[in-house]
Amino acid sequence: MTAAPVQPFAIAARIRTAWIARSRQEQLVYKLLLPVFGSVFVIATIPFILATIQAVTSDSGEFIGFDNFARALSNPLLYESLKQTGLYAAIALPVEILGGLGIALLVHRTVRSNVARAAIYIAAMIPIVIPQIAVGVVFRLVYAADSGILNVLLGQTGPNQPLWLSSPPLAMIATASVDIWQWTPFVYLVMFAGFQTVPSESVEAAQVDGATNWTQFRHIELPYLRPLLLLVLFFRIADVIRVFDHVYVLTGGGPGTTTQFLSLYIYRIGFKFSDLGQASALAVVVMVAMILFYRIVSRFLPADRA
Amino acid sequence: MRRRSRGITKIATTLLLAGIAFLFAFPLFYLIATSLKTKADLFAPVPSLFPPAPTIDPYISVLFTRGFGGLLVNSIIVGVSATILSILLAFAICYPITRLPASPRLRAFVLNWALSLRFLPPVAVVIPYFAIVRAIGLYNQLPALILVYTIFNLPLAIWMLRGFLDEIPLEIEEAALVDGASRWYAFWTILLPLSRTGILAVAIIVFAFDWAEFLFAFILTATPQAMTFPVGVQGLVTQFEIIWNDMAAGGVIAILIPLSLMIIARRHVLTGLTFGVIREK
Repeated sequence: MTAAPVQPFAIAARIRTAWIARSRQEQLVYKLLLPVFGSVFVIATIPFILATIQAVTSDSGEFIGFDNFARALSNPLLYESLKQTGLYAAIALPVEILGGLGIALLVHRTVRSNVARAAIYIAAMIPIVIPQIAVGVVFRLVYAADSGILNVLLGQTGPNQPLWLSSPPLAMIATASVDIWQWTPFVYLVMFAGFQTVPSESVEAAQVDGATNWTQFRHIELPYLRPLLLLVLFFRIADVIRVFDHVYVLTGGGPGTTTQFLSLYIYRIGFKFSDLGQASALAVVVMVAMILFYRIVSRFLPADRA
Repeated sequence: MRRRSRGITKIATTLLLAGIAFLFAFPLFYLIATSLKTKADLFAPVPSLFPPAPTIDPYISVLFTRGFGGLLVNSIIVGVSATILSILLAFAICYPITRLPASPRLRAFVLNWALSLRFLPPVAVVIPYFAIVRAIGLYNQLPALILVYTIFNLPLAIWMLRGFLDEIPLEIEEAALVDGASRWYAFWTILLPLSRTGILAVAIIVFAFDWAEFLFAFILTATPQAMTFPVGVQGLVTQFEIIWNDMAAGGVIAILIPLSLMIIARRHVLTGLTFGVIREK
């Protein structure tokens, strides 16, 4: 069995025919889109290619194979940071999602006045729009030893005070609580918007049938919220992978490796230890992993998105 | 009886919501309170909840004595330039896929590609950017930040703008085209004026994101010549002996700009944060 030889000219001719077959407007799409999108695509892809090149060459530019990848993947600190990142997510995400959903349900059921709803909307937006660095400032004032307001309010300023930012389990709780403070309102806003999309006819029908609060939520409203819950979960997972700013200013990744989450770990390898080869290998691995994650995610996103 | 239990529920939920609101508001209140304290107040054995003698000295100290005013200017230059560039590029990309008969596959490819960039952690991207920026001699220069911010927030601009453009009916432009107007003329006199609100909303959200960005600026700059405001604030928090009132004042200034912008564009913030999935009426 031999494959038919491919004629380069035949391909060119076929492309030409396909091009002419397109309407002038369709041609215009490509003429307008290609220069700009093409350059942006290249500029955004270069870092990925460059990171790969950096990872497989030495500082003097010789090819060194997959040495950096081997070093990156055999470093026990990587797995330690993944574990801590997972723990952070396991503390923060359930609280944010269940808390945001709970508050949305509460407000949806009990707050009727439009003014009050609008006020809650604005209030919920405030933590979200604060730059992460400033969030770090806010919680430094809360959690600092001696002068931090939390220990003052707890009446714990003596030598045995809880060290929120420098003792291992507490530092994890403190940094995760900051995440909860900033992002529960985001989940609330998304879920509250979701509740507004539930058709009032179905709710009324359920109430006529004598549905309790719980069955109404479980069988009527939750199905409408499910795609939004998935969306929020995906966005929050992507955000946990990039957590950096507030942790950097609160604990710097310490004590020890307690809060050295993935982004802080890569930063440390690349810029504290100046091991850009290993950091590039890590960057490539993380980028590939996140693109695969996105491929899975995009299947679950609402269909009208693209 | 039923009426009474309803009243109790109402009081209970109000108390619960007030409690939650207090937990969220208190840290911000204390930030503002600290930013208004004098140097002497900082040495009180027990820090007070309210500034005993409110002063704006910490703000003056941050902006002028420490020279953060310059960082503020850098942040604004970078934010405004990157926002304009992001919007121009986003418009050039969104126009063909929303106003012209682009194939659904092409449209989906462009939008998916843009969204997938949102999933890349900045720390992974900054490592190669660091090498590029140093190689082309832009290390510690504002243009490097402008370029990186433009690319990094472009996906957001594309998704938001595409949402706004989709809402403008094609028929209006088509009517003009049938009447013999050129596409350029229709774009300039019909589409652009109609999308003005949308463009403004995208600009505000993108600027707020550029303004808040920390990691790229932290790694790609080294001196106040190119540092942005968040990098300066970071220095106030991580220095050996923290000057609490100055640090708090820096935090308040960093918050004020995005907060006021977001309140202006409040109807579009959620759209921006969810890449256009949630659309407010």
